[in-house]
Amino acid sequence: MRFIFIILGIISTILALVLSILPFGTIAFVPIVSALIFSLIAFKISKKEGKSSSLIKILLVFVIIALGLTIYNISKPNIVNDEIESISKENQTTEDSIEELESIDIEE
Amino acid sequence: MRRIICTFFVVLIATLSFAQNKTIAAGEKLTFTASYNMSGFLTDLAQVTMETSTVKTSKNTFLRLRFKANTYTKWDSYFKIDDYYESYVNPETLQPYLYKREINEGGYYKFMQYNFDPKAKSVKSVKRKKRKDGTFWDENSNLSIGENTRDIVTTLYHIRNLDLDKAAIGSSDTFTVLFDNKQTKVKFTLLAKETIATNIGKKECYKLSISLNDGDVLKGTNSNLIWLTADANKIPVLAKFKIAIGNGELKIQSATGLKHK
Repeated sequence: MRFIFIILGIISTILALVLSILPFGTIAFVPIVSALIFSLIAFKISKKEGKSSSLIKILLVFVIIALGLTIYNISKPNIVNDEIESISKENQTTEDSIEELESIDIEE
Repeated sequence: MRRIICTFFVVLIATLSFAQNKTIAAGEKLTFTASYNMSGFLTDLAQVTMETSTVKTSKNTFLRLRFKANTYTKWDSYFKIDDYYESYVNPETLQPYLYKREINEGGYYKFMQYNFDPKAKSVKSVKRKKRKDGTFWDENSNLSIGENTRDIVTTLYHIRNLDLDKAAIGSSDTFTVLFDNKQTKVKFTLLAKETIATNIGKKECYKLSISLNDGDVLKGTNSNLIWLTADANKIPVLAKFKIAIGNGELKIQSATGLKHK
């Protein structure tokens, strides 16, 4: 039983770390919560059976790191990085469009 | 005879008043957040803006209607979107004269241009694509269109210009949209009038459903919805869409330069 929860904890922690690095937002909380639950169950079983819990403690550290990364990513404001490039591109498009529109007479 | 002339003028005035732009002014800017639904969690993907501005040529003044979609910087290293759709229209009637669409999506590039000739009911189309070696190739074609065929940008602004306050709940209207050189019928149905909370306050809105008569881009029945404020500006504040790869939504963040204060 302890072994199964450790394996589930490892899988969830890896998934939590991957999702917390990628910009998927709140979805990373799903493996974080799962990893926490599995690790805590494994920790309790280990204590009960008097077995080593060092691996579980490492997992919990990684889960906290994933949690921190997710909260940091969510709290960052959404920005678009296109200002200067976009303005010059837009000006070029407008100039091209004016050339295209020069020959047109708007129908009233 | 007098009755016929009278009826003719009533119809003419009604038609002209329908065709007049009462909603869209130059300088309007609407900003939206586009989110994608991943297993029930909405993830912010991109910023979408709808902007209007005046463009002058030596003979005329056009109203430029521009949509822009850019992924947030956090997504740029994985999948960058840099798209724009724009239409140059008659500021009084919203009749389109020039339409441009450029999409840059994760390395995929496509450019479309339509030069509308309303008198001849035709469109000169240019499609530009990028080869794998980085060079471009153009495909030119001439298309015959119907009297009320518009591009997608003008259609969305045209809907904002409709007298929705006079439409009954359940009523629908179909518009012909020229997209990728194909004329597609898009049906808009007024489903309800409801009040929703948005980032620009609580708004009473017209809830419209969008469906395509042909084509299967949009999925589901009444799954593609748009909420327009039930005021003189009729600004889109929320849109929900369902496509083959999932569903998402567009939420308004800010609205400036509106015609009616």
